[in-house]
Amino acid sequence: MIAIHKVNKSFRGRQILKDITFDISEGECIGLLGPNGAGKTTLIKCITGIIHYEDGEITFHGKDILNFKNDIGYLSQNTDFKQWMTCEESLRFFGSLSGLSKAYLDEHITDVLTDVGLKDKNKYKVEELSGGMKQRLGIAQAILHRPKLLILDEPVSALDPIGRSEIKNLIQKLKTYTTILISTHILDDASEFCDRYIIIKNGEIVGNITNQDETINKKQVYFQVNAEETAVSPVKLNESYVLQEIKPGQFSVTSKEPIVFANLMKELDKHHIQIHSLAYEKKDVEKIFLELVSEV
Amino acid sequence: MRNISILLKVELLEAVRNIKFIWLTLFFTLLGVTQPLIDKYMEVIIKSFGGVEGIMIDPNAPEPQANEVLLATFSGQFNQIGLIVLIISFMGMIANEKNSGVQGFIFTRPVSSLEYISSKLFGNWLISMVCIAIGSFISYFYTVYLFGYYPIVDFFLFLVCYSVWILFVVSTAVLFSTLIKSSMFIGVATILLSIIFLLAGNINSTLSLFLPSGVLTLAESLLLQTHDINFLFMIAPIVYILINVYGAKAFINQV
Repeated sequence: MIAIHKVNKSFRGRQILKDITFDISEGECIGLLGPNGAGKTTLIKCITGIIHYEDGEITFHGKDILNFKNDIGYLSQNTDFKQWMTCEESLRFFGSLSGLSKAYLDEHITDVLTDVGLKDKNKYKVEELSGGMKQRLGIAQAILHRPKLLILDEPVSALDPIGRSEIKNLIQKLKTYTTILISTHILDDASEFCDRYIIIKNGEIVGNITNQDETINKKQVYFQVNAEETAVSPVKLNESYVLQEIKPGQFSVTSKEPIVFANLMKELDKHHIQIHSLAYEKKDVEKIFLELVSEV
Repeated sequence: MRNISILLKVELLEAVRNIKFIWLTLFFTLLGVTQPLIDKYMEVIIKSFGGVEGIMIDPNAPEPQANEVLLATFSGQFNQIGLIVLIISFMGMIANEKNSGVQGFIFTRPVSSLEYISSKLFGNWLISMVCIAIGSFISYFYTVYLFGYYPIVDFFLFLVCYSVWILFVVSTAVLFSTLIKSSMFIGVATILLSIIFLLAGNINSTLSLFLPSGVLTLAESLLLQTHDINFLFMIAPIVYILINVYGAKAFINQV
C-alpha cells in the first residue's frame, strides 16, 4: 500500500533521516518506535507532506503519496485547533479543505463526533475542551474523510490515565477498518495495537520486527547460584534450553518454546547446578527496543 | 481557488470573533483624528497643558491645507505607531498555527503551500486595510470639516497606493514567519525592516524607485497633487512582495 524508499532529510546541515526504507501493507497496524529525537515525527511529516524531503520516494499504490492526501488521516503530537472555533466548526473547516461537500459534512459530522465520544460537545469551543477531548477531536478530524491510512503521532503521550484509556479504546476500534501507522515511545501502548514495529534511532531504522517474530516471543528464565557453587559454563542443556552467563553467579536459560519448570529443574540437576533464586521473563517489544536503541 | 476562499473565510471570521476588526478600527480612527486635532488646536492644547511660556508659535504661520494634514496623519501617525501596532496584530498569523499543529492538519489536506501563504497574505492585508480605511475615511471627513475641501477620489487613490505598502509589510511578516518560530521575533524583524525601508526611502527619490517604500512617494505625490507623479514607483513593491511570497513558499515546508 505505502512504500517508503531511501528517504533522506536534513536540516541546517544535520541529517535527520537516513535512507529510511519500509513498506506498509493494507490492514496493518505499525508501531513507529524510537527515543525522543530519533526522527519519528520528521518521518511522519514527510509521509503526510507537511515537510519536504531531499532524496528517496514515498509512494501510495505506486504513485507519489502527495497525490493521495485525501486517503490519509493525520493526528499530530500536540493536537490543537483554533481556540475560537467550536468542535463542529473545526470539523467543517478541515472537512471542507479535504474537499468534502456540505451535504456529506451535514450527514457525517455528528456520526464522527459520536464515534469519538464528543457528540454532546459539538457546540463547545475548543478552548473549553480538556487535553483528552482535544485529542479525540484530533482523531475525529483525521477520520472524517474515511482515510485508508491513519497516521497517529504520539496520540496518548500527553494524556492522563483516563484520557489514555479512552484514546486506546478508540484506536482499537479504528484498527478494525483502517491501516494505522502509530508513532510512540510508550512501548506498552504500542504492543497493545501493533502487528509490526519499525524501530528508529538517530534517523535510521535499526529494527523491523513483527509480533510473529521469533525474537519477540523468546522466553527466558533467570537464575542465581550460590557464590561458592562450582563454576557453570555456558552450555546447551538440551535441544530447547540454552544456558548463558549474564554476570558472575547469574545465568539465564532461553527457549523458543514455553519453559516447563519441572523439565528445566531436571536438566539443571543433571548438570549439578543448584539454584539459589529464579525469575521468569518473556522477551517483549520493550526488551528488544532497549537492546536496539541503547548506546553500548 | 476553493481552498484559498475557505482559508480566507476562516481568517476573516477569526478577526470578527476575536474582535480584532473592532479594536483595530477604533485604534486607527483614534490615530486618524489625532493629527487634524493637533494641527487645528495646537495652541489651545499647549495652553491647557501649562501655557505657552517659552514656546514660540508663529502667529503668521498659514493654516495647513487638508491634504497636508492628511499626509501628516499617514506619515506621522499611521506609519509610526500605527504600523507597529498593525504588525503586532498579525505577527502570529503563521507561527501560532505552526506551533499549535493547525498548520500540520491543513497541509495534510490537498492544500498547496502557495494557497496557504496567499490566504494568510490577503486575509491579513484585507483585515488591515478595512480597519485602516475606516480610520482613514473618518480622518478624511474630520480633516475636511476642519481644514476645507479635498477631493475624495484623490484621497481614495492615495489609499490604494498605501494599501500596496501594507501588502508589502504583511508579505514580509509572512516570510519571517516561515523562518522564525517566535511571534515576538517575527514582529520585531518585520518592524525593523519596515522602518529601514521607510528611512531609506527618504534619502532620495531615485533610490526609492528600487525600494518597496517607493510606493509611498507615489502616494504622497497623488495626495499633494504634484505634477511629478511617477507610476514606476509601483514596480519595486510588487517585485518585493513576489520575492517574499516565493521565499515563504520555499521555506514553509522545510521543517
